[in-house]
Amino acid sequence: MELNDQTMRSWIKEAKVGEGTYAVVYRGRHAVTGRPVAIKKIKIGQFKDGLDMSAIREVKYLRELQHPNVIELVDVFSAKTNLNLVLEFLDSDLEVVIKDRSHVFLPADIKSWMAMTLRGLEFCHRNWILHRDLKPNNLLIASDGQLKIADFGLARDFADPNPGFKMTWQVITRWYRPPELLFGCRHYSTAVDMWSVGTIFAELMLRVPYMAGDSDLDQIKTIFRALGTPTEEEWPGHTKLPNYVNIGQFPKSPLNLLFTAASSEALDLLAKCFIYEPRRRITAKEGLHHPYFFALPHPTHPSKLPKVAPTTKAKPLQVDDYEDDMQTEIKTTYREKRDKV
Amino acid sequence: MHTPVKDPTGKTTEYRDENDTCPVCKSDRFLNKNLRLLVSPCYHRMCEGCIDRIFTLGPAPCPIPGCGTILRKMQFIHQTFEDLTVEKEVGVRRRIAKEFNKRRQDFQDLRSYNDYLEMVEDITFNLINNIKVRETEELIEKNRRENAALIELNIQRDERDVSSLQEEEARERRDREQRAAELRMMEEEEKFEKEREKQAIIDGLATSNTDADRLVAKTRAEAAKRSQARRRPDISNLLSSSTTTSYNNTRNTFAKDEPHVPFTDDWDDCHDRFSLRLPGDQSPYYDPTTIEVRKDVEGKYRAGGYMLEEVWERALRSAVMALDITPLPEDE
Repeated sequence: MELNDQTMRSWIKEAKVGEGTYAVVYRGRHAVTGRPVAIKKIKIGQFKDGLDMSAIREVKYLRELQHPNVIELVDVFSAKTNLNLVLEFLDSDLEVVIKDRSHVFLPADIKSWMAMTLRGLEFCHRNWILHRDLKPNNLLIASDGQLKIADFGLARDFADPNPGFKMTWQVITRWYRPPELLFGCRHYSTAVDMWSVGTIFAELMLRVPYMAGDSDLDQIKTIFRALGTPTEEEWPGHTKLPNYVNIGQFPKSPLNLLFTAASSEALDLLAKCFIYEPRRRITAKEGLHHPYFFALPHPTHPSKLPKVAPTTKAKPLQVDDYEDDMQTEIKTTYREKRDKV
Repeated sequence: MHTPVKDPTGKTTEYRDENDTCPVCKSDRFLNKNLRLLVSPCYHRMCEGCIDRIFTLGPAPCPIPGCGTILRKMQFIHQTFEDLTVEKEVGVRRRIAKEFNKRRQDFQDLRSYNDYLEMVEDITFNLINNIKVRETEELIEKNRRENAALIELNIQRDERDVSSLQEEEARERRDREQRAAELRMMEEEEKFEKEREKQAIIDGLATSNTDADRLVAKTRAEAAKRSQARRRPDISNLLSSSTTTSYNNTRNTFAKDEPHVPFTDDWDDCHDRFSLRLPGDQSPYYDPTTIEVRKDVEGKYRAGGYMLEEVWERALRSAVMALDITPLPEDE
């Protein structure tokens, strides 16, 4: 308890930068060193049945992972009834960069981002962790240009010793979700993250989401329209998956029709991320050794990558922000007094 | 028509000579004080008066005998160099540099880049010396059609390079000024300190009864101590400020692109500690809990990408991973 108070006092919240369904994010800094951080305050009070699952996952996995391309969880402390995660402060993400049309991406820029993504992901997989929510929005960019994988709210360890354990298929944002999850598969592996990497790679080249379906069914259709319907040979057993539906036959079209400017190595890597059979899909480790990364041009040095000035206006703390803290404070003091009486 | 062109220092960079004569109307600087000769795209000179007279009503052929190129008033440019062939070469090169602006990184290898440079040089030579002009123009047009996107991209790149270079220079200048200001302040303080020391000695001599030599020595020593105490942090300030700026410089714009390295962390993958048996091997591990997976009657494990070898590898890795690490001493 004492230790917790000490930790709590060493971090100062400065301004609110965002609010999600289960957490509020503040910009803050260390009281002594002045190191900028993001403080994620998780609202516990609203969850009657205990702490939110994603908060547990985030703490559980981030506490273990330390890598230049994975966000750093600096500290954890609780204040009153709230849980606070102190994370590395990163001011922009890949989605913002992709959407900013004032930048032209060089092939070398895309290569650099891809290499950093794969390094971070390989590190997670090496430590038996599936991210399960890779998308440009979750790839944050540090001020020195380093890309960092963030948001481990859906992460999970894999290769369970007991194959009877089932994993949920309702993970990964739809546009980045692989077909095996769309078909409701309960036993899967690292290949699901690699599909997401492929879609991110495509999005970096196209500057728009590559396969954007507006429902789960439409997503399957979009994928098959883009890459052709898989045959039993290409993907053995997929018709036996729980949610399999026959969508109809779509012809294959070569990737270079859409990705006209991509080099042949880039197209090869992309095609390997989109192999239907998950066991044959390229792994993160294989990806890092792919000829695409060794061909010229060299990947851009992170510090020279296109950057976007932080657009989210940080709002200084308002009275309202303190209010819920105050109310809990009042309640606890009241209760303590009552108990004494 | 054309105002004299000035370079960034404000100097006019237009060439003119006292003996200039317009080859069309033969008027010279003696008769016409304001004679200004301009150069046509076919690199012939004539005076502003003639240009006005001939081309005001629209495009007309060049009046120089044997030329006859159709010209417009707006196409005339001022002359920078005395020798018109130099003028022409500079013009041609400027134009070609805009059209053929591929860079080394746009090519697979050095060889193809060199071939490209060779071709560009050939085109330039042909244009300067009027060899196969039509074919060369077609070649340029073809290149423009085929590489429009890349040309545009490289123009943007160039702009980016220029602006980052300017930023860099501005930052360096700021740093220099700041350092100079700090140095000036230090000097002033020193001067002030000397004055104070002198005053202190005089005051001391005037008011106290102690021995004069000793008093002077004592005051000097005190002043020296004071100035040292003051200067130390100043120097460290200077040092730290210069290191932070150099840190900023390295992380900005001028870092070199390096070849790809698959891993940047020191990952020892303990391959030599075990060899993994695969589910398809002659004698896989004895593992009764996974019989169902190995049979995989419906094929759902295969279709989903679930891999038994990962399960086994994880178990084995967890077992051997920390074998090298010395245990913590007991008293800690």
